[in-house]
Amino acid sequence: MNEQNSTVMSKVERYYKDYGIRARELKKEGKTVISYLCSLVPMEIITAAGLVPFRIRGNVNEPITKGDTNLETIACPFIRSCFDLSVKGWYDFCDGIVIPHGCDSMTRPYSTWRYTLGLPYSHFINVPHTVSGPSMEFFTEELNTFRKSLGRFAQKEIADSDLIEAIDLYNENRDKAKALYDLRKSDPPLISGTEMSKILTVGMSLPVTEANELFAEVLEELTQRKEAPVHKAPRIMVDGACIDNIDFVKLIEDSGANVVVDSLCIGTRDYLPHTDVGGDPLDALAHRYLDKINCPRTYREKAEGAYEKDLTARFGDIGSLGKEFKVDGVILYVYKYCDPFGFEVPARKAYLDSLNIPVLYLEDEYSAGIIGRLRTRIQAFLEMIE
Amino acid sequence: MAEEEKKQERKKRRTATEAASSIGAMVKAAIGGTVKAKEEGKKLAYSFIVCSYDEIIRAMDVVPVWTENYAGVCGAKRDAERFLERAESQSFSRSLCTYALCGLGFDQWREELGEMPPDAPWGGQARPDFMLSSGQILCDPRNKWYQAAQQYMPDVPIYDVGLPYPLYEDDIEVADVQDYYIKYIVAELRGLVKFLEEQTGKKMDYDRLSELVDLGERTWNLIWETYELRRAVPTPMGTGDAMNTMVPMVFMMGTQEAYDFYLDLNKELKDKIARKEGVVEDEKYRLLWGGGLPSWFALTDFNYFNSKGAVFPVETTYRMIEPIYRLNMPDTNDPIERLAWRWLGYWTYWYDKAKKRPGSEPDVERLIQYIEDYQIDGVVMHEAFSCRTWHLGLIWQLNQLRKIYKPIPVLILGQDGKKGEEKRELPSLILESDIIDISTYSEVDTRNRIDAFIETLEQVRKNKADRR
Repeated sequence: MNEQNSTVMSKVERYYKDYGIRARELKKEGKTVISYLCSLVPMEIITAAGLVPFRIRGNVNEPITKGDTNLETIACPFIRSCFDLSVKGWYDFCDGIVIPHGCDSMTRPYSTWRYTLGLPYSHFINVPHTVSGPSMEFFTEELNTFRKSLGRFAQKEIADSDLIEAIDLYNENRDKAKALYDLRKSDPPLISGTEMSKILTVGMSLPVTEANELFAEVLEELTQRKEAPVHKAPRIMVDGACIDNIDFVKLIEDSGANVVVDSLCIGTRDYLPHTDVGGDPLDALAHRYLDKINCPRTYREKAEGAYEKDLTARFGDIGSLGKEFKVDGVILYVYKYCDPFGFEVPARKAYLDSLNIPVLYLEDEYSAGIIGRLRTRIQAFLEMIE
Repeated sequence: MAEEEKKQERKKRRTATEAASSIGAMVKAAIGGTVKAKEEGKKLAYSFIVCSYDEIIRAMDVVPVWTENYAGVCGAKRDAERFLERAESQSFSRSLCTYALCGLGFDQWREELGEMPPDAPWGGQARPDFMLSSGQILCDPRNKWYQAAQQYMPDVPIYDVGLPYPLYEDDIEVADVQDYYIKYIVAELRGLVKFLEEQTGKKMDYDRLSELVDLGERTWNLIWETYELRRAVPTPMGTGDAMNTMVPMVFMMGTQEAYDFYLDLNKELKDKIARKEGVVEDEKYRLLWGGGLPSWFALTDFNYFNSKGAVFPVETTYRMIEPIYRLNMPDTNDPIERLAWRWLGYWTYWYDKAKKRPGSEPDVERLIQYIEDYQIDGVVMHEAFSCRTWHLGLIWQLNQLRKIYKPIPVLILGQDGKKGEEKRELPSLILESDIIDISTYSEVDTRNRIDAFIETLEQVRKNKADRR
């Protein structure tokens, strides 16, 4: 399809299929591209430095080969795929990489990433594990270290005003993502889960101003849709770590359900929380990335000595989304070797049970070649809740 | 199977030192001691090793229940499977840390029964009064395990101690960031003291804590000096023994018993060196255990290496100390601050060395140092499938080592100023299995790989001899 005839969704499709194409173009134009892993890297700081943030994603259709010569196969398969693509040169337009302390699979091999890719810039952000006064103070200092380090690389002092401007742009992006999510509240939803996954994934590959423009165009087109792209069907939430491809969501939808909401990275976990405005921008970023992003790698204090209340404190956002989007069931999707999520499976299931929401737990290996084996279990689950 | 038959099946592993031989009884007594302490009404805390809080716990008379240790004991006794299966039945993936899975399976069973599971190894793991998690760069399960255990013990509170350290960066010096790291660690440790005071109803005696921290520091120095004795040829103690002698280091730090243990070990090693008594009679190959936790159920593999004339004078695993006097700790009388500086100093100890070799990295520098100091002929690592903490990055480290220890001749400048050629090939072996999940282990395959590795070592040795 040529550019003139393309709709905004075909543009999304192009950016999704050739992930990084825009960042590559920007690199050719002389921009500096900084790649990163995980939802815990404050993209605002990279943008404020005048650089282009680019989220590394894996690819379930690409067998992991070259990466295994330097990274053990006992690492999370999603991270292995990200590493494999990186060493194969898929993201060779990047000038640097930023890795946060998300989990062992991304943290322990930091040196492996750093030296194997040999990029001009690399940085590790030490995200604490607890949410408290001292940990917040520490994390603010740690973000300031990142700000100074990146500023040295970019040869630009990152001023508070730069950060405030970037925070506003990302908050605008989150408003638009929220508006897209709202389109899924109707039954049937006005946007399929597969379409949504593509849009959100693509958003992580663009400068925020371009992502905002793209999301605005998508919103404009989708709100004019006369008919929903899908039929009425069981409404499913996907809960888990990071899903950066459409294959799993498509498998669920092909099995006869509509994925209407998620609790995922590259999903509500990182697209919905706003950064507070009006105060110190670095404090606000520390608060957003440590406290507001509800990832199991961050320990949350036990609430008032009651385990049930503790579950609500840890997983209440999942319950709220389930209610808001009227879900009929939750599919908890966890990658093999994922310690942060893996140790939460019984508790997450118990919480959903307490809300009388049916839940299906699936463990997978981040490979399109074997994802189909989950189809039977998904179909059985859908039959059960229908 | 009757208990008698079990005993016959698993004979006690042969150790080189008396000290290592004494550890089994020590661990058994410690585990039994926690069950007894519970009966006596003492406060018990589920605890992790290498969390810098040993002396604090001891000073508060809290009895630590080392959950990793108990899982290791279950593994060593080849009795972990039933606990792993029980955790799996609770929807925990078998791909997660098997120490944690074993502990969770045990806890679930004990809580369901209201008493110890049947035939629990060494009397079982006592129910804690509270649990001390730890949020580190080091290990996700340390942050998740006890939280997961709360599902079975919802009344048992947790304190999660944040213990970060900066990762190595080219453009950042430790001195640039250490102030806010120390400030945070100190705040976390003070928070722990407050938590323990609330749980035990007694106040911290800071004079006593200072004494224990001082004892701990002296123990660190003593261990380092003692382990350095293993440089001797033939080496008087190998890694197989070190997997025993690490017990006082990581489970008993801040106790006089630990200090005395290393005094005895020090004397024993010096006596052996004086008698030129090595781990094996004819020491042929000196190997570095360069990373990875051992398979606790297969420690006899070290004896198998020994049977081929191969010894391990040094290891990175469970050598969790450096000489205190080299850690650049500032003068302070505050024992909490001393613990924080010790933590930071330990984890950043090799950073300066890495800075001096562009393109290097602290873990690689440590390997190089050991290879040179201990006259190493080859490197062995173990990749335990369930533990990302200690086992990610090992392949890359070996690849880095190969750039230095090349199988091709390299030009060297001798001390006499003359140029020469040297082939510094350093064969390596990565064993694959797990820490306690025996289903991943094949003795035949493992020993075949060891045999092939020994043959490579022999070939390298012959090549070197031919060149001379």
